[in-house]
Amino acid sequence: MAETFRLPPSQIEEFTLDNGLRVVLSPDHAMPVVSIAVYYDVGSRNEREGRTGFAHLFEHMMFQGSENVPKAAHFQYIFNAGGTMNGTTSTERTNYFETLPSNYLPLALWLESDRMRSLKVSQENLDNQRNAVQEEKRLRYDNQPYVTAFLRMNEMIFANSANAHSTIGSMEDLDAATIDDVREFFRIYYAPNNAVLTIVGDFDNAEARGLVEKYFSGIPAQQLPPRVDVSEPEHVAIPDEVFPDPLAPAPAFVLGWKIPPRRTKEFYALSLGGTLLFEGDSSRLYQKLVKGDESVISIEGGLDERRGPSAFFIFALPKPGQDPDEIRRQIFDEIKLMATGGPTEDEMEKLRNSLCNDAVRGRQSTMYRAQRLAEFALYDSNPRLIDSELDHYLSITSEDIQNAVARYIDVDNRIFLDIVPAVADEADTVAASPHPPGDPHQPAAPSPQIPDVPPLEPESPVKVEMPQIKPAIPVEQPSDPADVPPQTKPGSGPLHP
Amino acid sequence: MIEPETFRSQAPPPLQPHPITIPAPREIVLPNGLTVVVVEERRLPLVSYRLAFRVGGAFDPPELPGLTDLLAGLLPEGTQSRTSREIADEVARIGASLSAGANSDYTIVAASALAMFNDRILELMADVVLNPSFPENEVELARQNTKEGLRQQRAQPSFLASEMVSRVMFGEHPYAVVAPTPESIDRSTREEFVNFHKRKLVPNNAVFIIVGDVQHDDIVRRLESLFSTWERGEELVTDFPAPPVRTKRTAYLIDRPGSAQSNIIIANSGITRTNPDYFPLLLMHTVLGANASSRLFMNLREEKGYTYGAYTNLDARRTAGTFRATAEVRTPVTGDSLKEFFYELNRIRNDRVSEKEIADAKSYLTGVFPIRLETQEGLTDQLVQIKMLRLPDDYLQLYRDRVQAVTLEEIQRVAQKYVKPDEAALIVVGDGSAVLEQIRPYCEDIEIYNTSGKRKTIDASVATNPVGSWSIELETPLGQNIPATLTISRDGGSFTGRFSSELGEADLGAIELHDNSFSASTSVEMDGHSVPVQISGSFEGDHAEGLVTLQDAPAIPFTGSKE
Repeated sequence: MAETFRLPPSQIEEFTLDNGLRVVLSPDHAMPVVSIAVYYDVGSRNEREGRTGFAHLFEHMMFQGSENVPKAAHFQYIFNAGGTMNGTTSTERTNYFETLPSNYLPLALWLESDRMRSLKVSQENLDNQRNAVQEEKRLRYDNQPYVTAFLRMNEMIFANSANAHSTIGSMEDLDAATIDDVREFFRIYYAPNNAVLTIVGDFDNAEARGLVEKYFSGIPAQQLPPRVDVSEPEHVAIPDEVFPDPLAPAPAFVLGWKIPPRRTKEFYALSLGGTLLFEGDSSRLYQKLVKGDESVISIEGGLDERRGPSAFFIFALPKPGQDPDEIRRQIFDEIKLMATGGPTEDEMEKLRNSLCNDAVRGRQSTMYRAQRLAEFALYDSNPRLIDSELDHYLSITSEDIQNAVARYIDVDNRIFLDIVPAVADEADTVAASPHPPGDPHQPAAPSPQIPDVPPLEPESPVKVEMPQIKPAIPVEQPSDPADVPPQTKPGSGPLHP
Repeated sequence: MIEPETFRSQAPPPLQPHPITIPAPREIVLPNGLTVVVVEERRLPLVSYRLAFRVGGAFDPPELPGLTDLLAGLLPEGTQSRTSREIADEVARIGASLSAGANSDYTIVAASALAMFNDRILELMADVVLNPSFPENEVELARQNTKEGLRQQRAQPSFLASEMVSRVMFGEHPYAVVAPTPESIDRSTREEFVNFHKRKLVPNNAVFIIVGDVQHDDIVRRLESLFSTWERGEELVTDFPAPPVRTKRTAYLIDRPGSAQSNIIIANSGITRTNPDYFPLLLMHTVLGANASSRLFMNLREEKGYTYGAYTNLDARRTAGTFRATAEVRTPVTGDSLKEFFYELNRIRNDRVSEKEIADAKSYLTGVFPIRLETQEGLTDQLVQIKMLRLPDDYLQLYRDRVQAVTLEEIQRVAQKYVKPDEAALIVVGDGSAVLEQIRPYCEDIEIYNTSGKRKTIDASVATNPVGSWSIELETPLGQNIPATLTISRDGGSFTGRFSSELGEADLGAIELHDNSFSASTSVEMDGHSVPVQISGSFEGDHAEGLVTLQDAPAIPFTGSKE
């Protein structure tokens, strides 16, 4: 039944402006709202050594005003129009997006085009945002248990510095950023021919196209940036390490593997294998460790999806008094079982149905679709993959999963990061609380692959990153039906930072 | 070269707005009293389900706080015919989701599935609601995990603040209790769950909401057959004691030594969700503190840089409510933040808000409204609140009209009625010795508690003479240590200071001293700009420590001793 499941095809119109800006329109008149996403082909992978954290710093700079938009006015315009907005940075790209009542489409295009065309890059703005980013790093990374350890994971898996360094970057590199660096960065990467614009929702195609041409066609193209070398040796860079974490209230560990790029057969298979191992109450590791042995507080895992070599990881937080080595053995046993016996027929049915379910859910939100279309347009030059990607996943067999797990996960080529609480004064220990990977605020935890849960509420993108206004929506007792309470499943925008 | 484009100089006007179609739910009541609300929404082959009960934590037996929430979590952990594992597997096999939880007013069993699995997910929902078995091993695991979670929560200052504000604002009303205790968790036995389930989760107190690709008559028939054996129970009565009436401002300081930030809540008594003042108060809340373009955010964050965000919270629940202003601020600016909070609270009472502010607030509320109805889950959750809080059936239809109808006069009227700084409870969770004297100018009446909620006192500080030269070292984020000298002189009844280091010299002007804490503001020239500098700290005998903050840069800590 599930094999013949078909998504209703999306209406998609693609065109490219003379300056190289790729545009995707997907009308849907169900509600009078419109979502706009602008994706620039620049992420931490583009940063050279000594300039780490630059892509993310630049994301902050994009809210500092442009020729016709005063500093910090961007979000005022959006809020006062009844919209929501955000921007995020990953290894692969930097994105900016907003959802508005559909009649405010011109406002969104004006705002996005003005900063693409004429960002105000000044020493004052740079200093100001550098400070903001450094404060952000201190508060949300350096001052959180397990988070710095998690950044370390990528440095252990990847040997190529383009892949290994964190998106937040180092304090020293941020300090070293000069105004000329920033101007050069803007010229090279924030060019229309290095970006994709998607619009999903309640609009007329011809009218939207006219507006896009009006606001974006006068922005000059630039020479395309050089290709990035993200190639990796087969082996992980650093197999074992002990990480003293002064904020960690209890020991924990991370296991990580280097795996093939996104949209390869192996990646699809490993994504599904990961789902069976660690996603949800019915997953093998949850049933074995949280339920069966009652030995862990939580076990989580995920895949870091990249255009180049990617990562697969598992994070375990043992209960007090439980032996982490024994828990690790149990995890390896379960991986071995998957690598030798493969998924059961029941598990394959579960995968098929949850893939279909998640694909359908993803159709509800215009913002979720705008983001998916932009990813496929930017990475694969084919936004229509939004309709066919499900078929790639559904074509994966039990044998494919078994083989991929045997080849890439049930191997000695992996990293083991042992996180031990470091001696710290009492106050620090009390302040700590675990935020295991998977938390949307977690920096290095990548978004789950398909099955990607779409954002269930408009606030979802706001949870991931807020350049100017971090926790924009305070989460407390909902007091108005217009304040949708947090959902049972968090949305999955691209993850912070 | 970029060509000038003069059409860009102004923000473009909006296009003609398109109307919103707000789906009309159909509602019927089954013979056993179960209300069924169905929205046929066929855009996608997907369905959202909520079985919601008008019973929440407020109905916990007084000796068993947290019982309802624990019970809800245990519903999918075993029934008379299925183990916890079997339920998880069956839900997963159809690619669906099923979960349960409770807040203070209601309990929800939530599910979502592809339309083709409608019958199977409904059967599972009926099983976990009608036949939970509360297996001993699952009860024990839930108790353990809840206690572990509680231990983690108590480490969070935001939890401590929320616990205290509920306690002082609600008094004898059950909203006063926000969390269980390890003892109450241990007392929550299987027998308690079985009894509570039988008495409280009854059809005449429940609403089943279904939104999605379903056919109304089919779904009603299906529910009638699944729930036919479910018998009506006693009506629940909400005769809770009224929250206390506040008559003066009192501060409740929770001393959390070493806390890097102060969590501030300034609370007044509020309204229930069905109070006719709700919409004027919602507009006032939007102007004052609901979002990142509201007054509190613009003042405390954008202008002063004290915090990452300052907000108000319109906490209007079924049987009582509060109105709160909140922020997490850097410790040295706790007093300065209180000053700005009280300034804004008084301003919204005394001065009418501007035409632009009310227009922006209306535009925000009416604009975000359809975005929240975009997904099935969004619409379903709105319907849950409408039914659980007994809002009018045309609530969604009239929401935007009600927002538009609010006037400037009404905003000022509700501000004066509900925002009462002189009767507020001021909760601060922070480093007691560092913030006590910062609070005192704003509140004479201060009760001090430890993090377990027990009253305590803070020892009077060691008397220190601040006058003289202090040799200090700034520790920069890069690990550099910069030596500096801080000189404090007495000038009659006041103090002045001077700061000198390799970075430059600055006259600190007048220094504010409270016992052994001090603070001062100045500015230094950097790259041709005048950058504001804030310096604050404390003296203890011959030891000094504190923070130097340049504009919104991260604070640089310093320590030192008297020369």
